[in-house]
Amino acid sequence: MIDRYRPHVLVLPEDDANRQMANGFVLHPGVNSRTIQILDTAGGWASVVEYVKKDGNINHLRKFEQCRVVLLLDYDNQFPGRFDSICEKIPGDLRDRVYVLGVLSEPEELKSDLKKPFEKIGNALASECCRDVQEVWQHPLLRHNHGELVRLIQDVKPFLFGNQ
Amino acid sequence: MLQRLYVHNFRCLENFELNLAGMPSALLIGKNGTGKSTIAAALQVLQSIARGTNRMRDLAAPEPLLSPKDFARGRADVPIRFEVEVLLDQALYKYVLALELPRGFHELRVLEEQLSVDDRPIFLRQQAQVTFYDIPQAKEVKFLVDWHLAALPIVQEQSVGALHLFKTWLSQMVILSPIPALMKGVSSGETLEPKRDGSNFAQWFLGVLSRYPASYTRIEKYLKDLMPDLLDFLNKPIGADAKNLQVRFAQNQALLQVEFDDLSDGEKCFFLAALVLAANYAYGPLFCFWDEPDSYLSLSEVGLFAMALRKAFEERGQILVTSHNPEIIRKFSDENTFILNRKTHLEPTQIRSLSELRPSGDLIQALTLGDLWE
Repeated sequence: MIDRYRPHVLVLPEDDANRQMANGFVLHPGVNSRTIQILDTAGGWASVVEYVKKDGNINHLRKFEQCRVVLLLDYDNQFPGRFDSICEKIPGDLRDRVYVLGVLSEPEELKSDLKKPFEKIGNALASECCRDVQEVWQHPLLRHNHGELVRLIQDVKPFLFGNQ
Repeated sequence: MLQRLYVHNFRCLENFELNLAGMPSALLIGKNGTGKSTIAAALQVLQSIARGTNRMRDLAAPEPLLSPKDFARGRADVPIRFEVEVLLDQALYKYVLALELPRGFHELRVLEEQLSVDDRPIFLRQQAQVTFYDIPQAKEVKFLVDWHLAALPIVQEQSVGALHLFKTWLSQMVILSPIPALMKGVSSGETLEPKRDGSNFAQWFLGVLSRYPASYTRIEKYLKDLMPDLLDFLNKPIGADAKNLQVRFAQNQALLQVEFDDLSDGEKCFFLAALVLAANYAYGPLFCFWDEPDSYLSLSEVGLFAMALRKAFEERGQILVTSHNPEIIRKFSDENTFILNRKTHLEPTQIRSLSELRPSGDLIQALTLGDLWE
């Protein structure tokens, strides 16, 4: 079980495609897999929004101050509208521990463009985080995440990409 | 790395092919009775032969791996066939074993057997006649072998080479369907050949640590991630040839010593996983088949456990697991998840990659409703 009293990340994927990318990310050897946990798929971006509104989840985040949450969703070509809409719903005191990332359209388009399975894409994204480079992250379907990504890496690098 | 397993006319597997090329880890899912454990049995037949149990009747008991009743639907006029293709040191090894039961026979006999490397034969066999190709000396040697014996463990090269490499890989396959109640801490002797039910766990533990002492650190690191209060473990001599594994936990100034036998079923599986990972690192790359690794684990551990196994085998070796557990299933992806299906008990197992069958909605719901293949 993940130690809730130590820095850790919970990942909430919107759907199966995002879940598979998250799997690939965690499988990268540079990622400390005892500090990251992928939750069940939310089942649509509206359900991701529901997650940050639910009292139980909010209470959990307030209780466990070392917990960070990454919401992985599809923007369905509605960036920044959808991003702003989600951020508005995150309680102010938790905003600095919740990160919102997603493919500009949907992961299937990224997969077809990169000609790689979702796991391999996730693995490549993790590799870049570990090496402080951004190539795949600069893909037209991903580069809008830059602000959130920089904020996330700065926060989690000491434990997520730390020793194994 | 196992590239391909082909099985024909063995229990529910007919013209069955599993392709794992390029996959360090993969998952088999499917309803009960679709053949997941039969795949393990097919692999175990080959493993047992490589470990030296090569008389056909010895494969029938005490563990019933292979016997005349294993012909699919009793069809004894068609041979049972096993084929494996394995990539080792950039060379493709292919081993074929076909078995028949002629009229009036009560024990299976070998119809065909061959081992080749990159399509060059090391030995070929038709019934009792074996032809061994001594490549360094550029000569063929012909000899006869009892037709109820597989030749693989008997054939010997003059020096350690391809044949030895393949036999070692096959015999060191780790096939697990552990029963924690049978996993005891007492050992007399050591081994690098774990049994499927985990009942010789302590011997394997001792074998790994005595031959590869640096494995202790790897095992300890893995276990301490799961059980932060673990202090260490020790093998206490109990008599002339036996040892007893004990585990010590410490917190603040308090110390607790526990017999391995008294650990919970799940904790024993943690030890088993630690040993699998250490063995893969020490003398791998290994192929591991683990039937339902989630069986004894708490919900909070299952996903992390699966991910830790997958991750360790990303670096080297290969792991194939079966599961019905949603938490495990979610830790795999479309390309490395295979679904087994069998319409009725009278029909053979079919296999397809999840990427071919991808349901439009939620995968777990599709599995729960049983409509993935419909």
